[in-house]
Amino acid sequence: MHGMWAVCRREFASYFITPMGYIVVGAYTLITGLGFVASFLYFSRITRSPADFNYPAVPDLEEVMLSPYLVFTGQVMLFLAPLITMWLLAEERNRGTMELLLTYPLRDRDIILGKYLASLGVALVMMSSVAVHLGIVAYYAPVEPAVLIFGLLAVFMMSAAFLSIGLFVSSFTRSPVSAATISFGAFFVSYVLGSLGKDLAEGNPAPDAWPEQARLAVGFFYRVFRQLVLELPIDAHARNMAQGIVEPQDIAYYLLVTGFFLFLTFRVLDARRWRAVS
Amino acid sequence: MIEVQNLTKSYGPIAAVQDVSFHVAQGEIVGFLGPNAAGKSTTMRVLAGYMPATSGTARIAGFDVATDPLEVKRRVGYLPENVPLYPEMTVRGFLRYAASVKAVARDRIGAEIDRVLEHCGLADMGRRTIRNLSKGYRQRVGLAQALVNSPPVLILDEPTVGLDPRQIIEIRNMIVSLAAQHTILLSSHILPEVAMVCGRVLIIHQGRLVAEESMASLAGAGAGMIIEIEATGDEAAILEALRAIAGVEDAKREGADRYVVHAKPGADPRVPIGRALVSGGIGLRSLTTRQRTLEDVFVESITKEPRPAGASDAERESA
Repeated sequence: MHGMWAVCRREFASYFITPMGYIVVGAYTLITGLGFVASFLYFSRITRSPADFNYPAVPDLEEVMLSPYLVFTGQVMLFLAPLITMWLLAEERNRGTMELLLTYPLRDRDIILGKYLASLGVALVMMSSVAVHLGIVAYYAPVEPAVLIFGLLAVFMMSAAFLSIGLFVSSFTRSPVSAATISFGAFFVSYVLGSLGKDLAEGNPAPDAWPEQARLAVGFFYRVFRQLVLELPIDAHARNMAQGIVEPQDIAYYLLVTGFFLFLTFRVLDARRWRAVS
Repeated sequence: MIEVQNLTKSYGPIAAVQDVSFHVAQGEIVGFLGPNAAGKSTTMRVLAGYMPATSGTARIAGFDVATDPLEVKRRVGYLPENVPLYPEMTVRGFLRYAASVKAVARDRIGAEIDRVLEHCGLADMGRRTIRNLSKGYRQRVGLAQALVNSPPVLILDEPTVGLDPRQIIEIRNMIVSLAAQHTILLSSHILPEVAMVCGRVLIIHQGRLVAEESMASLAGAGAGMIIEIEATGDEAAILEALRAIAGVEDAKREGADRYVVHAKPGADPRVPIGRALVSGGIGLRSLTTRQRTLEDVFVESITKEPRPAGASDAERESA
């Protein structure tokens, strides 16, 4: 346990000894701050003339402003998480300090969880700006506490999932730049696929003229593909939660993604025991 | 303290270390010698628990490196080659990290850091950022992190490489001063250094242990006298004259007008050599003896063919 905390402390401190922590926290505060102001201005324009925006009456603040804003802050994390996680294991390998790390009396779980917790800590520091924004909203408008709590939880769980994927990528790369590039690429593809998913109609795209067997096959694969595109992207499961609607499958999704990639990281670190070249 | 049995480590098809066995007793300083890429670092990395052996066993303080890695790592201070450090940390910050990772009790951490800083001559360097330290000081920081929590075994991979002569002397003295409390295995390819520091040397070449010799036996009898001769004249005639003498095992040219004679064990052919050369009309300029140095053993060991596995086992058992 003490080993895990020692690794975590060193890792967390190193973000703020170097400029990296300030850059990431600063960028996140700036972007989410701009997003917060922009979505508020947008909402105030809606309240002045709802009809112009095709709303019959003044719409719900939580649904129209708060929830999209929270999902947005989670998506910003998607762009910044690779900058947090790229150092975690790739930099140890790059500098050769992996040799120290693996010869100190530490278990794999001390190393992996210690580093993961440090990256979560940085994400929490970043999210403090979102908490301030939510505090401002709660002060001026009657908002359900559940929306605030589960909204923050949704952003946190999204970040946790991003960070676990980033940690996994960092575990098999030697240079932080390639770690960041790979995880950013992966996040971006999932994000683009996710926004594509909204345009995929239900039903079977195969023409009626096709033979029955082919139509069935195409229909089956299309359904699987559409479901994957709708369910797999990390931000897809945050929307409901950001409105205070908590579904077990959304929470389960984040826990599973995080757990799965942490598990893969354990396997990668363990691979040094059987790989010929390390 | 360190027991290595038939250790083999392969990287894919390349065997970096083959069937190496040795023991290091408690309190010994043992030097691990070999040309570059001989397998020194690989063996040390296996001992330190950085990577597993392909076959064979290594035990430290009775714990198997493969099955009890945590117990082994608690008892080993390891200085990797090239001294990897965290450049952005301060010396003190880094040592505090090392101390907490090595489970030094929280209230003892400060005192422990002071102790290793003092020991490694870093007392004034605690607040410095590692990035700004010179190579010599980085080496000391590397040594300091290995010393944290006084592990009974120290494994130091080329602790003096890249240092200037004055720094080498300092680090060497530091290592000698550690011998009282630690069992030390250190690697080097600088022979005089090992000769000065170590009680025993292991010579490894192309992944195999080719020689194992204590410094005492190196200096003492057993091996023949070595005679250096400076003489002018026909090279072939000189060598012929030298080889004809009864007590001479071998003679060879070592440079312009310089020859080296290995005498047979117990023989002292100096007088016959002088007589033979002078009477042969050869200009003898000087004739001196020298002790068999580590360099001789080293060159002998790595130039001769690797011993067959069976023979080396037999020798080990008789030793």
